[in-house]
Amino acid sequence: MKGFFSMALRELKALRKEKTIMFAILIQLFIASFSSVILLGIMVYYDPDSIGQNAQLRLDVGVLGDSESQFINLLEQRHHRVRVFSDAAKAEAAFKAGRLDAIVYIPEDSKDVVEMKLVLPEMDAQATLVLMLLKEPLEKYENYLREQQGLSVRYQDIRGKPFSTNEFLYTIIIPILMFFPAFIAGSMVIDSISEEMENKTLETLLSAPVSINQITGAKIAASVAVGLLQCMAWIFLLGLNGFSVQNAWVILILSVLVIAIVALLALLVSLVYRDRERSQFIYSLVILVLFSLTYFVNPSPFALVARLATGDPFVGAGQLLVYVVMLGLLIAVTPFVTKRLTKV
Amino acid sequence: MRLRARFGGKMIAAVLILLIAAGAVSSLVYLQGMVLAKDFYIVGVSPGAPLIFDQRFHLVPVDPSQSGVALKSGRIDVYVTGKAAFYRADDRSQHAAGAIKKYLEKKEIARIADQYPLNQAFPLRVEVNYLKAPTENMSAAAVTLADIVRAGQESNSPSNPQTSSDDNLIEDENPLAGQPPAVYVPSESDELVKQQLEVLQSSSMVPEFKAEFASNKQVIVPSLMSPPIPLAQVLLAFAYILPIFFISIFFTSGFIEEKLGRKLNILLSAPVTPLQIILGKMLPYIGYSLIIVVLITLIFRGNLLLALAIFLPVILFIFAIYLGVALQYRTYRDQTFFSLVAVTVITGYLVFPAMFVGINDLSYISPLTLAVQMFRGESFTLLQYMLSAVPMLLVFLLSITVGTRVFNEEYLMNFKPLHVKVREAIYLAMDRRHLAVSAAVFSLLFIPVVFMFELAAITLSLNLPTPVALGFLVFTCVVIEEAAKSVTVAVTIERGLVKTWASVLWLAVVSAIFFFLGEKVLLFMSLSVISESVFTNAVFAGNLLWIPLLLHCVCTTIVCLITWRFGIKSYPLALLAGSIVHGLYNLSVIGVLR
Repeated sequence: MKGFFSMALRELKALRKEKTIMFAILIQLFIASFSSVILLGIMVYYDPDSIGQNAQLRLDVGVLGDSESQFINLLEQRHHRVRVFSDAAKAEAAFKAGRLDAIVYIPEDSKDVVEMKLVLPEMDAQATLVLMLLKEPLEKYENYLREQQGLSVRYQDIRGKPFSTNEFLYTIIIPILMFFPAFIAGSMVIDSISEEMENKTLETLLSAPVSINQITGAKIAASVAVGLLQCMAWIFLLGLNGFSVQNAWVILILSVLVIAIVALLALLVSLVYRDRERSQFIYSLVILVLFSLTYFVNPSPFALVARLATGDPFVGAGQLLVYVVMLGLLIAVTPFVTKRLTKV
Repeated sequence: MRLRARFGGKMIAAVLILLIAAGAVSSLVYLQGMVLAKDFYIVGVSPGAPLIFDQRFHLVPVDPSQSGVALKSGRIDVYVTGKAAFYRADDRSQHAAGAIKKYLEKKEIARIADQYPLNQAFPLRVEVNYLKAPTENMSAAAVTLADIVRAGQESNSPSNPQTSSDDNLIEDENPLAGQPPAVYVPSESDELVKQQLEVLQSSSMVPEFKAEFASNKQVIVPSLMSPPIPLAQVLLAFAYILPIFFISIFFTSGFIEEKLGRKLNILLSAPVTPLQIILGKMLPYIGYSLIIVVLITLIFRGNLLLALAIFLPVILFIFAIYLGVALQYRTYRDQTFFSLVAVTVITGYLVFPAMFVGINDLSYISPLTLAVQMFRGESFTLLQYMLSAVPMLLVFLLSITVGTRVFNEEYLMNFKPLHVKVREAIYLAMDRRHLAVSAAVFSLLFIPVVFMFELAAITLSLNLPTPVALGFLVFTCVVIEEAAKSVTVAVTIERGLVKTWASVLWLAVVSAIFFFLGEKVLLFMSLSVISESVFTNAVFAGNLLWIPLLLHCVCTTIVCLITWRFGIKSYPLALLAGSIVHGLYNLSVIGVLR
């Protein structure tokens, strides 16, 4: 047992010297930041309401045509400033002087199709923003017109909060952050094993009074420890940013189980292929396929993390049983495989 | 040939099986519709509620009498009946309500479209028009508002050249007449509504390459308005850049293998120059990458010549960075992580600006923006092309220059710490007889590198809360810039190439001036891309240029003189001192400090 610990410590020291962990963390930070960029994009495009609500942007809208229109009330409800013009030339002058963000021409309400006209500035960015902000009043006006024709649209009064940010964070970011350490851990195990094999240091180690299983076990323990630290750091950082993660302990245990499973698989791959490049390649493919296969499991590891993190009452520690069984099987099988493969 | 030697026999079989499995899985996922978190929201449904087919919702049948209790106890997040939905005030329930609202609204639109005639279901049509931006010259505007609206003022608007020749929606809606036609005449916009409805119902997963929300004269229906999908750029990035990454990784590992196998030593003693060795090793892989670009362009049916013009700099850029990885590398683990860092930095540089296509024209820094435009069939100017290509080519030039200079056995085989290796590389790469020229050239070549790191910093800062993020961003960018300007001078000091404080000062000023000039040329290019208007004049007119130039010189001088006085060990502290001065100035410009 003492040999085991000194081996694990040796691995951890090697890691610290290589500064690999710094890189690993940097990469995960990048993943997280990228997702915030994509998130920004998604929010801008799919959830314009949230921008209106958050930023409190107010538009100056010039109105031509029907000055009694319900649309004007709807604009004012959203705190946009409305100016009614009777003369197109004056409206145009105001628009060109930069005093208006948009001009709408509203025909009289009628029993028929209302053909509104919207004039936007030709600059792409501004036009997109203005149109996004006008989307909600326009939709409301459309529903108003539908009601005028005796056609009712249900579920209009649900308010709720913009959900896409939240959904993205809990169903994509947090699971990625929790499982990426597992991927890195496996990659580290392969590097470490194949380096020893190629430098022939494995044989030297084996001549010392430690068994092959102690050596591999120590490497896996070291990678699990590093992975666990990363997951804990992420949960802590998320908390600092105001995103609460429920069931944090259950999630951490799940992460450790997954890290251990992936690390064991990596060990097997590296023992079969021996050279680093091929092992890494096959390992990446295996992980890719396995993770996509989990999509058909319900709850999938991804969904399980997402639901645990939001405090879904339908999931809990019980769901971890499957992973415990899988890990147990792998631990039971691996020693036989390693013995056979390292005999040569 | 290398590929075959390495991946023969059993390997091929294993890869094939795995690839087939991956293909099968992804097609199954595609058929089912991709939902990452099944059962994410818990939705209680009453007997009369509409059917909900969305795997995100975990449906729990709840009797109306029980619904209040179930909602309060947190067993369900939302309760949906045939008429309305109920929810709590906490975040979990509110988000679920938001999600179900979006889903039900879409369903309602489909129901209405199905049950009612088109003119009743979609009674509002909005025609989008664009007028020249306020800053533009008014007389240049070809179309006036009166043209667009024709709000009955035709008689008193002489500037109106054409009379309802191309407008198809005008005839039956003269508001001055104020008489809506008694019978509904199917308007031409009905066709457009039908088209938009089809798009909505097909809800295909393939993103459209849509230029903007709505093009000029396009008629939109508010409830069918679909925003452009921002993921097109990401999709393109994956299609083109991922294969290039793969190839460049083979390049790097081939390089490293020769380095370890001491085959490079044999090459070095042969009568070939380092440049020939590097290019000779790179060329086949660049060839493979070009073939991939051609194939992908043919598959997506893009313009072949344009695609090659856009992606050749990208290929060179990626290979330049991987050459750096191969040269700096020391151990296997190093290589894995260097490569990963390279992947993230490159993707950051390429994808991040491209997310802002149509929002900010600085997105032209990324070639993916051009690629998106190519696929949309839009044109771009030479200047826009240069803005994306020139920085990448500069990085390539830098990497090749440094690569050929450091290409000796001693440098390639040693195991010194990274910062020592970088300094050594700069020392080897500079022209020791013309220090000022070296400082100037390095300052210029470092600009795109600085830009890359600054983009990375922006991306990272998005993780932080806003005020902290701003501080972090200002500080990191300043440190990066100061380091780029002073590192060459610091190396000359370390190596004892300069003897007097006056020559240190001279080098520092040269370095700062060229960095500043290069940066401003880039800025000028990007500004003129943004608009050929008043903006550029403003930048170049006032004192706006002299103060920053002075600042750059002062800060670089501070860093260099401290390093000269106290030795290379003090360089980090010197850098900090220069950065603080620079940072304070930047903050005061932004208006944080007064």
